[in-house]
Amino acid sequence: MTSAPPSSYRLLGGRIPYVEGPLKVTGRAEYTDDIQRPGMLVGRLLRSPWPHARLRSIDTSAARALPGVFAVLTGEKYPTPFGVLPITRDETAIAVDKARYIGDIIAAVAASDERTAERAIALLRVDAEILPDYADPRMGVAPVAEPIHQRGLLGSNIQKEVVQHFGNVDAAFAHAAHSARVRGNFAGVTHAFTEPLVTIAEATPDGRLTVWSATQVPHYLHRALSEVLGLPMHRIRVIKPEVGGGFGGKSDPLPHEIVCAALSLETGRPVKILLDREDVFYTNHGRHPTQNDVRIAVDASGQILGYDIDALLDGGAWSSFGTVTTYYNGVLAMGPYRVPNFRYRGRRVYTTKPPSGAMRAHGGTNLRYSVEVALDMLAEKTGIDPFDLRSRNALPPNSRTVNEFRITSTSFLKCLAAARDKSGWDTKFRKLPYGHGVGLGCGFYISGSNSPIHFTPKMPQSTVHLKVDMDGGIAVHSMQADIGQGSNTLLAAIVAEVLGVDLDRVHVQRVDSDVSPIDLGSYSSRVTFMMGNAARAAAEELRGKLVAAAATLLDRSPDALEVGHERIQERGHPEVGVTFLEALHRAMETSGALTASGSYNSPSMGGQFKGARAGTAPAYSFAAYVAEVLVDDDTGEYRVPKVWAAFDCGRPLNRLAVEGQIEGSIHMGLGQVMGESMNYRGTRLINPSLLEYKIPMPQQMPEVEILLVGDDDPEGPFGAKEAGEGPLIATLPAVGNALYDALGVRFTDLPITPDKVLKGVDQRRAEGRPWKGR
Amino acid sequence: MHLDPFELHRPTSVEETVALAERLQGRFDFLAGGTDLLPNYKMHINLRPHVVALDAVPELAGHSLERIGAMVRLAELERDPEFGHAYPPVADALREVATPLVRASGTVGGNLLVETRCFFFNQSYFWRASLGFCLKADGDRCHVVPQKERCYATFSGDLAPAFMVLDAEVEVAGPGGRRRIPLTDLYDAKGDGIRRLTTRPGELLVGVHLPPASRTLKGRYRKLRVRPSYDFPELGVAVAGAWDDRRVTSLSIAVGGVEPYPRRFDELTHPLVGETLSEDRVRALAEAVTRAVRPVHNTFLLPDYRRRMVGVYVRRAIAEARGSVAA
Amino acid sequence: MPTPDLLRFRLNGQPVEVACESARVLLDLLREDLTLTGTKRGCDLGTCGCCTVLVDGRPTLSCLTLARLVDGRDVTTIEGVTPPNGLSPVQRAFVNHGATQCGFCTPGFIVTATALLREVPHPTRKEIERAISGNLCRCTGYRKIIDAIEAAAREVA
Repeated sequence: MTSAPPSSYRLLGGRIPYVEGPLKVTGRAEYTDDIQRPGMLVGRLLRSPWPHARLRSIDTSAARALPGVFAVLTGEKYPTPFGVLPITRDETAIAVDKARYIGDIIAAVAASDERTAERAIALLRVDAEILPDYADPRMGVAPVAEPIHQRGLLGSNIQKEVVQHFGNVDAAFAHAAHSARVRGNFAGVTHAFTEPLVTIAEATPDGRLTVWSATQVPHYLHRALSEVLGLPMHRIRVIKPEVGGGFGGKSDPLPHEIVCAALSLETGRPVKILLDREDVFYTNHGRHPTQNDVRIAVDASGQILGYDIDALLDGGAWSSFGTVTTYYNGVLAMGPYRVPNFRYRGRRVYTTKPPSGAMRAHGGTNLRYSVEVALDMLAEKTGIDPFDLRSRNALPPNSRTVNEFRITSTSFLKCLAAARDKSGWDTKFRKLPYGHGVGLGCGFYISGSNSPIHFTPKMPQSTVHLKVDMDGGIAVHSMQADIGQGSNTLLAAIVAEVLGVDLDRVHVQRVDSDVSPIDLGSYSSRVTFMMGNAARAAAEELRGKLVAAAATLLDRSPDALEVGHERIQERGHPEVGVTFLEALHRAMETSGALTASGSYNSPSMGGQFKGARAGTAPAYSFAAYVAEVLVDDDTGEYRVPKVWAAFDCGRPLNRLAVEGQIEGSIHMGLGQVMGESMNYRGTRLINPSLLEYKIPMPQQMPEVEILLVGDDDPEGPFGAKEAGEGPLIATLPAVGNALYDALGVRFTDLPITPDKVLKGVDQRRAEGRPWKGR
Repeated sequence: MHLDPFELHRPTSVEETVALAERLQGRFDFLAGGTDLLPNYKMHINLRPHVVALDAVPELAGHSLERIGAMVRLAELERDPEFGHAYPPVADALREVATPLVRASGTVGGNLLVETRCFFFNQSYFWRASLGFCLKADGDRCHVVPQKERCYATFSGDLAPAFMVLDAEVEVAGPGGRRRIPLTDLYDAKGDGIRRLTTRPGELLVGVHLPPASRTLKGRYRKLRVRPSYDFPELGVAVAGAWDDRRVTSLSIAVGGVEPYPRRFDELTHPLVGETLSEDRVRALAEAVTRAVRPVHNTFLLPDYRRRMVGVYVRRAIAEARGSVAA
Repeated sequence: MPTPDLLRFRLNGQPVEVACESARVLLDLLREDLTLTGTKRGCDLGTCGCCTVLVDGRPTLSCLTLARLVDGRDVTTIEGVTPPNGLSPVQRAFVNHGATQCGFCTPGFIVTATALLREVPHPTRKEIERAISGNLCRCTGYRKIIDAIEAAAREVA
């Protein structure tokens, strides 16, 4: 296509309410726990009370004998390990040899009702040998007495070590005019979606197994079920009902999902496992507790000379996405600025705690906080305004980073300009009274991971099928997973846009592996970009068939026709045309119902070195946020009255959804700054509840002014890039840097709770450093 | 989550309730709003085989400026502007309890008698079994202050300090009849934290009485918590009294959320009667109250921080104390 | 006096009679026995508000309400605040303003908001914030929820 994209489309770019909205607001949307199957049993889990224990034996006899108990399962029945990344399959559905954290599944029961199942669980007798537990990842980098997994490097608990060096970092620091160092310490946070984890499995006498699950990744679940249960994939059918939030916490195949299926195979009955909220916390897979050490060197004009980064990640008991996390916590520093010299050592260490995994803005959040705080320190040292420092270093469009990330579209400079202008930065920065401050934080994130997790068989990352029959309803099939981010709506809107039809003619079908062509799922912010492109391609193929049929009705060449609104008409003579239905019925004459298929695979990219693919993406999102904070000097409590959020997601295709993602991301990012944390005493999670895990309340939400300033991305569907994870990242450093502007205290540990604020101010005063006169 | 079976009773008079309580001999819990009892029951904390629901006892319902029935829902009281104007500390406290949803069910009596809270107590059976049960539920040792004699779970109700500074009395009914005691005497500060109340087993809290003089006082309740909603008090300071620029006629301060019992500090405030409430005196008072409390680490915020806030909250509560709207 | 065997109450405007044991909460009765799955189970401990229903018109946590104690009362669920055809103003506003993303918390919010607007037809944003502060949302950051409730108030007026 050589013509420039239109400034606006008929549907795309507008505010499109969710197509399933009416079902959600009336309670009619069907989530997994709403489903009842005839004769369904209740599955419950025995969780390990020990952080680390060798399981010698489990006596199930009393449990089995209890009336109403239909099955008791222990680990040796399905010992095949699995994991979301094929290179690190270290989980089993039920612990086989060892329990590796308090909450690890060590047995399962299927019974007629919950009370009976719980009584059966209580009758299980476990003979366990207690092993040393490992709470602190720093203790796990050297050889340990009892490594948590066999795969730990050299008898340690290190799960993954990444070392990268581009250019010459030592030389860069030697020649630097200024440098800054931030040692950040980040508590783990978790997704805390409102819909708990839940799965239903039903083995049927025809040899098939159907699984309904609250998952972001039906395809990966499908693979894992097959691998662990030893059933060919085609005998397993995975259905994704409505899902109540994921944020990365439902983006692994999870043990309870496989256990549920196993219980159904064992009993021949449908089985439901619904996790208590406490168990959801134990399942975790949340953001890694992180300690990072970020050094940045600049020349006298503020040009970045190099980064030197070290990261230690607390992986918990399983690998999950951890190998990727270990890369991301360094390599995602390679945008949005030019970094000519880069050194990174990242280590992820197993601990006997609930596993860490992927959480919204995976791998890019804690790193970004420390980088942006370091840049703020450098702005102060050099006397260069924080905005100017950023813009001086911005990656240009159509460039490559030294670690060979392919940067295409970037409106980062526009983000900076918009945030600076709208926030009134120049009248406020360092000019507000003590206790009142503004701060800048920037962001950079992948719009879909370029490389798939599984390499075989080779296949597109997203495929969309369309079917339309004489009734004129367009059925859309794809395994893309709407988890509340609006991907169903976007899918329908793209199809409707291309075909010129009304949105309500397009019906996105429920995800069902029997009919939905594979899309890899909702993670790494890939759905808009990849599903969007596949949908566009499918719709264009269908359009071609309809236009060809219309051409025969109108006696015109297909090239002379264009799509109107529910019409196909002659370009320049719109009165010459046929309706959508007329064209459809004509096209159907020989083939019956029409089908079309479209798919997307991201282009080959990335360097040739080990781990080169980690962080590569077909596009990136960019952000510049200004946060305003107000601190109560006596109590250390603070609030964030406003955030100006300038974001580059290319062309926003559904403004309602993009705004919702930005606001929701800011809420989640603010939570991590203000008080969300997985609190442990040793290996014991102290706050596995929504009361003690402090998700912010409405009164704590800032006013958010959203500034969407992106230009069309050349490869994104209709110019779009991601807005699902990137918008979270800039929130944290914007608040951290605003607190510095307010109080003169650098906060490098998250969350920043009121007691830490007071402690920081006390320390500054004790060191005799007044700030804004105080 | 399920509830283990129990027998539910629903008496329809105070006398029936007292008789039932006596018959059940402590193997029961009273059920008021359920927002404190039911979560604990779902987590299998100190279950009893009988539950006595109080929502059908007419005498426990209804309120006036003088008397509040124990089963009056917090939301009902919150919605009464006349009551709120007459008793500012209680109005403040009511607005801050939990969430509007909890306040729809939760009751005045239930909040006064709310179970004490601790990281090691308010956990599921699984969690507690994994660590080892504690003194307050199924075990014999405290995990916060390692010993076996006292429980350090924190009193986490908002209303108690607010009613205390207004000289509230509670009416209690038992097998021996009815009696009234000052609210300040309800909590057994000399108890071991397990036996928290001075009431006898089987006695029923019937209502709260407020003396007319309290309507003339100015006052305030301030709650420290992590979030502006949902969270229990990590410190609650109530003040009430009569004072102006020249002298203090009366002054009361009560503190909750930091110890196993809410406490009123008469020994610290009575000496101020007749004096001027200068900034120095307020500061000294705040420091004295701070020294008098000993929070432990069994809630989200650290004990040092909560102690530090005692002084801030005492000063602010005094500064922000307001009176009832003039008639 | 032991409680009667049959629980009798009004549910969404209709009389209901159902057997229910003592140790059972209203949420379970609604979702399981009465197959009204619109009310959601988020935590079972009163810490999220997803289970909000109206009892005698007041937003209440059904996971912390013993079912037997709604005897003789009026219970309204999300199904009961939904008109037979179409959407209520509150529901329509939630859809149009993007106040529902994953939708799991939405029934609880709709019930709370519906009750709020019946009691306070023109709430301020602060009043809305307070009224919804028992309903947790992890997706929206609450902004559009407050916008939607404000918009619904204007429409109903």
